[in-house]
Amino acid sequence: MSGPVEKAGTSSAEMAVAAQGRVLAPKRSKLDRLVGHLRREWQLYVMLLPTIIWLLVFLYKPMYGLQIAFKDYSVFRGIANSPWIGFEHFETLFGNEQFLRALKNTIYISMLSLVFGFPMPILLALMFNEILNQWFKKTAQTIVYLPHFISSVIIAGIVITAFSPSAGIVNTVLGWFGYDSVYFLTKPEWFRPIFVGTSIWQEAGFQSIVYLAAIAGVSPTLYESAVVDGASRWQMMWKITIPSIMPTIIIMLIIRIGNMLEVSFEMIILLYQPATYQTADVVNTFIYRQGIQGGQYDLAGAAGLFNAVVAFVLVMTANTISKRYSRTSLW
Amino acid sequence: MRKLPLALAILGTTAMTAPAFADDHLPIVDKPLELTIHMHWPRAQGYGPGGDTTKLYPVEEVARERTNIHLIDKTSGRNTKDNNEAMNLLLATGDLPDIVGGNRIQQPVNQYGPEGAFLPLNDLVDEHAPNIKKFWEEHPGLKEAISAYDGNYYYIPYLPDGKYGRAWFIRQDWLDKLGLKQPDNIDELYDVLVAFRDQDPNGNGKKDEVPYFARDWEEVLRPLTFWDARTSGSDTYHDFYVTDEGKIAHPYAQDAYRDGMANLAKWYAEGLIDAEVFTRGSSSRDYLLGENLGGLTHDWFASTSGYNAALAEKIPGFNFIPFLPPKSAKGVRMEEHRRIPIKPDGWAISYNNKHVVETIKYFDYWFSEEGSLLSNFGVEGKTWNMVNGEPIFTDEVLKSETPVNSQMYLEGAQIYRGYPQDYRYEWQWTAEEARKGIELYDTEDLLVDQFLGVAFNKDEQAVYDKYWPSIQTYMLERQQAWVLGTGDVQADWADYMNALEKMGYSQVIEVMNSAYQRQYN
Repeated sequence: MSGPVEKAGTSSAEMAVAAQGRVLAPKRSKLDRLVGHLRREWQLYVMLLPTIIWLLVFLYKPMYGLQIAFKDYSVFRGIANSPWIGFEHFETLFGNEQFLRALKNTIYISMLSLVFGFPMPILLALMFNEILNQWFKKTAQTIVYLPHFISSVIIAGIVITAFSPSAGIVNTVLGWFGYDSVYFLTKPEWFRPIFVGTSIWQEAGFQSIVYLAAIAGVSPTLYESAVVDGASRWQMMWKITIPSIMPTIIIMLIIRIGNMLEVSFEMIILLYQPATYQTADVVNTFIYRQGIQGGQYDLAGAAGLFNAVVAFVLVMTANTISKRYSRTSLW
Repeated sequence: MRKLPLALAILGTTAMTAPAFADDHLPIVDKPLELTIHMHWPRAQGYGPGGDTTKLYPVEEVARERTNIHLIDKTSGRNTKDNNEAMNLLLATGDLPDIVGGNRIQQPVNQYGPEGAFLPLNDLVDEHAPNIKKFWEEHPGLKEAISAYDGNYYYIPYLPDGKYGRAWFIRQDWLDKLGLKQPDNIDELYDVLVAFRDQDPNGNGKKDEVPYFARDWEEVLRPLTFWDARTSGSDTYHDFYVTDEGKIAHPYAQDAYRDGMANLAKWYAEGLIDAEVFTRGSSSRDYLLGENLGGLTHDWFASTSGYNAALAEKIPGFNFIPFLPPKSAKGVRMEEHRRIPIKPDGWAISYNNKHVVETIKYFDYWFSEEGSLLSNFGVEGKTWNMVNGEPIFTDEVLKSETPVNSQMYLEGAQIYRGYPQDYRYEWQWTAEEARKGIELYDTEDLLVDQFLGVAFNKDEQAVYDKYWPSIQTYMLERQQAWVLGTGDVQADWADYMNALEKMGYSQVIEVMNSAYQRQYN
């Protein structure tokens, strides 16, 4: 810190000349380098362009509209002409017990999804990696990817049917063991397990692709030398595969934490009932009922903004922790 | 006064010059006048057959010829079926077409009308729309029902005709088989439901009958009326209602509801109500009737009476017919559901419109005899003919595989412009069973007054928006818990009422009543 200050004190004119000389020369070459770089790699930038445009149009431009969270918004008057009302919407939200309950449910459901849902695709990927029979491996993979491509509406239909008290397979099986049939989807205590289980079933297979790709990138020489050293498959998995894909796992974990409040609410809307609101109502479904259906866009905007701020804090925290302890981070 | 010029117009007169007479004359304008229109409703997102705006409705062709006003489509949000979204999209652009129409426009029009987006129609109608004015005079109270908080009304509504909506239906063949008669009161109804449950009326040897079922889970509440409680004051579920004293109250905060709910929970626990009513969804009527399982329901006259024909082959003797609502515990016979006489659908004039007088005259055209026939039955000579002074659909229309209403939607009739519906349109294609049922329901005075809604001013709206969604959420949560037996309504009642109070129930009722008094008194 003290170095540059002392130098600056010695002779400013001399310094400026020196600096000019020093800066100008690399600047020209930097520009040249940039032009050369663009000329060489322009195809890559063109490929990047759609994503950048998408980001600008669908994520950055709407940020202008976030101000309705602090306004008494009227669709007809428009965003700019609606009057400011400060934090009133936030006061309304936090004064509402149902919002607080929804917030609690969101965190709870997210934690459950994280604890049970996050390791699943990793396990699947490791297991797929150990399958030797190619035909079996491909078939198994296809089967676990499949639910990802089915619409949520259909998944919800399958779930409702499977848990139906009269004809559902779950109650039929329970019946064989002498249990009374249970109307699962109206029981608040069953909602979270059913929801988390469903999302694992739906997404775990597809999410495992990332880890399979990471595993494919591990250098075969590591395994070859391990075989020479007489390591078992179990040891190779623990000592080579998992450490090698650890950066991927951590990146995925950070992203996941950032999306924590984004519980897939369309699935919840399809599965919940007033009878299960107690455990099923999350921030997004609350926004949907209160804001979109009731036409209170400004209030919904405030809740959405709050969601985003929490997500931002979560990502920052997770990233910082990861950077400090594992030297892996998003940025 | 207005008959003569109209007759002249029909004779093909071209004398359209004197503006003093123009009020009663067709065409409305000498030279064709183009007006843009937003028309977004479930069957068509756009002003054209099925939403195809490159084609003209046959009805529009005739209307152009008769009035010289040409409606040009300018519908926003044509790629969404959500009318709310389309309306918001339209408003957000700020560039409103001359006419804004479609379903559920009342709320936005009453909210943004006073802000200047739509024109108040009171004076316009009084001065230039004799037919609409006459309709208001013949149907007192309706104009008030669609008014915004400033006392003006901003749209010309679609006005349904006909009284009955839902009715009680029972498997008469099951009753006959078990040697029972149609239940006339609540106790007999209970016995019939028990018999349906226990005595195997479908004869398959299994106890799989579902005595009372419903397509919409909210209908599970309707039996509350048998214990003299209310479930809703309008054809919207969970709505406020007007008490005998002329005040607005909510059915779910009344003692009668508590007592009725206790009985309903008992019925549910005893298996008299479909155990899966909350998740079975809209196909439950098809399934439970088709599988010969369902015994009794509360559903629409027209669609429910169609099952006798549809299932005649599959289930021999199948006979699902409407019967009078059983008398309540206090001896009252009531059908809570009815068609409301006025819809939140229709059309409005936007602030961009430069031809306001012509537009209101055009709106008025659809309330004239000629316009009303055109908007109800389509083009004369094509889909209907006048027989002995009655408009009768052609055989081609009545015998088609496509339901008459769907045919009309493509003709440009029965679409959600502001017009008075004519029940003769529906009666012609109503199934025989439903006609008998409607005649049966007409033998007694079953219907109750409807709550047609209120228009809040800004402060009242703020109170309602702040408290009501949460209160309703809480009400429905407790309601399902009580039906399902996870809570005991009698034991929970005091806590429930306290919670409602804490959540602002009294404030909401207060603004409801202040708005109601302003609007209807």
